[in-house]
Amino acid sequence: MSDSDHSRRGIGRRDLLKCMAWAGSGVVWTLGGGVASSVLAGCAPAPVKPSGGLSFVQISDTHIGFRKAANPDPAGTLRETIARIRALPVQPAFILHTGDITQLATPEQFDQAQSLLSEIGLPMFCVPGEHDLVDGNDPRPYLARFASRDARGDGWYSFDAGGVHFVALVNVVRLGDRGMGTLGAEQLAWLRDDLAGRSDSTPIVVYSHFPLWALMPDWGWGTQDALEAMSLLRRFGSVTALNGHIHQVQQKVEGNLRFYAARSTAFPQPAPGEGPGPGPLVVPAEKLRATIGLRSVTLRTSDAPLALIDTALADA
Amino acid sequence: MTITRRFLLTLSVIAAAPAFAAPPPGDPVRGQRLYQSCMGCHSLDENDVGPMHRGVVGRKAGTVSDYAYSSALKASGLTWDATTLDRWLSNPQALVPGSKMYFSIAQPQDRADLIAYLAGQKPK
Repeated sequence: MSDSDHSRRGIGRRDLLKCMAWAGSGVVWTLGGGVASSVLAGCAPAPVKPSGGLSFVQISDTHIGFRKAANPDPAGTLRETIARIRALPVQPAFILHTGDITQLATPEQFDQAQSLLSEIGLPMFCVPGEHDLVDGNDPRPYLARFASRDARGDGWYSFDAGGVHFVALVNVVRLGDRGMGTLGAEQLAWLRDDLAGRSDSTPIVVYSHFPLWALMPDWGWGTQDALEAMSLLRRFGSVTALNGHIHQVQQKVEGNLRFYAARSTAFPQPAPGEGPGPGPLVVPAEKLRATIGLRSVTLRTSDAPLALIDTALADA
Repeated sequence: MTITRRFLLTLSVIAAAPAFAAPPPGDPVRGQRLYQSCMGCHSLDENDVGPMHRGVVGRKAGTVSDYAYSSALKASGLTWDATTLDRWLSNPQALVPGSKMYFSIAQPQDRADLIAYLAGQKPK
């Protein structure tokens, strides 16, 4: 069965159960011209080397320095993630890290994270998470180590690769009501200028730490002024928004805007609204690797879909 | 009226006007739900990005052991009660400039409910 077969027919419950038994927790999100359809990893065709396309990997929430029961060794699981990246059949062009590189933004944690992430041996583009801010809102130590050379303000920037325009947004420095993220007027003005003059047909990948969609506002899982950014992005035919922070795969489609939250490489969090609230979720040690992992994204030639493959460390 | 008397009257008016209206009564059940938004950084029983919260109402600010407070909060001289917590949650940087917290809650009723919940989380 091809990707396009899945897109036309969707996936039935019987197929789903069959594939779940076979494939574990990996999920492929296939983005075509319309609503995204999901298939489980084992049911998708093997990744095809893109011809003239681009592939990259998203990792998130490495939380180097975290030591609690949810994962006493996040450096170890990051190393396992790096081994997964190096074993990919097509080496990605670069890594996107969607924040919370460290647990508490200490110099020692930044040193260890820099050392570990350099083992990937690929260019890395980052946005800060709230855990990467010193004393609650100072991004400068993060910026000195991880910011793109072209970064403005608190670390936002953009670049082009493979015909796609990538936009890094920072929504963790100035918090809104009840801990919601904000982008702020300065960043939104920059975004307006950055997008001006670009063709509506340019595929856009926008990435941030907090979700740009109202995933769970009661838990602070959203961005208060994201609608202003979305109004600037809505004219583009394909917009893919990637985020971290919530430590699990979640997705939402709003017209041409598609939002995807990624797993952490360190520990899971509860599903939105389940349990007393957000925070590190302790699972039995033998199940941890089914809840953490990486995401690979393939951008093929212009008329083919963009595919996201979420892989848990436990997946075969 | 002498200048001194007018000055004293002005002072008495300022003293009579509270800087903040008295917090409304709080609903601890609703406060427990609102506490979910605090849990990105805090929990009741463990220090994390922020200090543990159990027993916070009635505690002197900056005194939880094994938490690295800002020097500003340690020197604040505050004791956490309904009034100081209401001001803190309204705008922590206005109450204690240089503290580590930037999280705030806009609605007075939300703050009151949250404080009512925290007041019920007594030390074990």
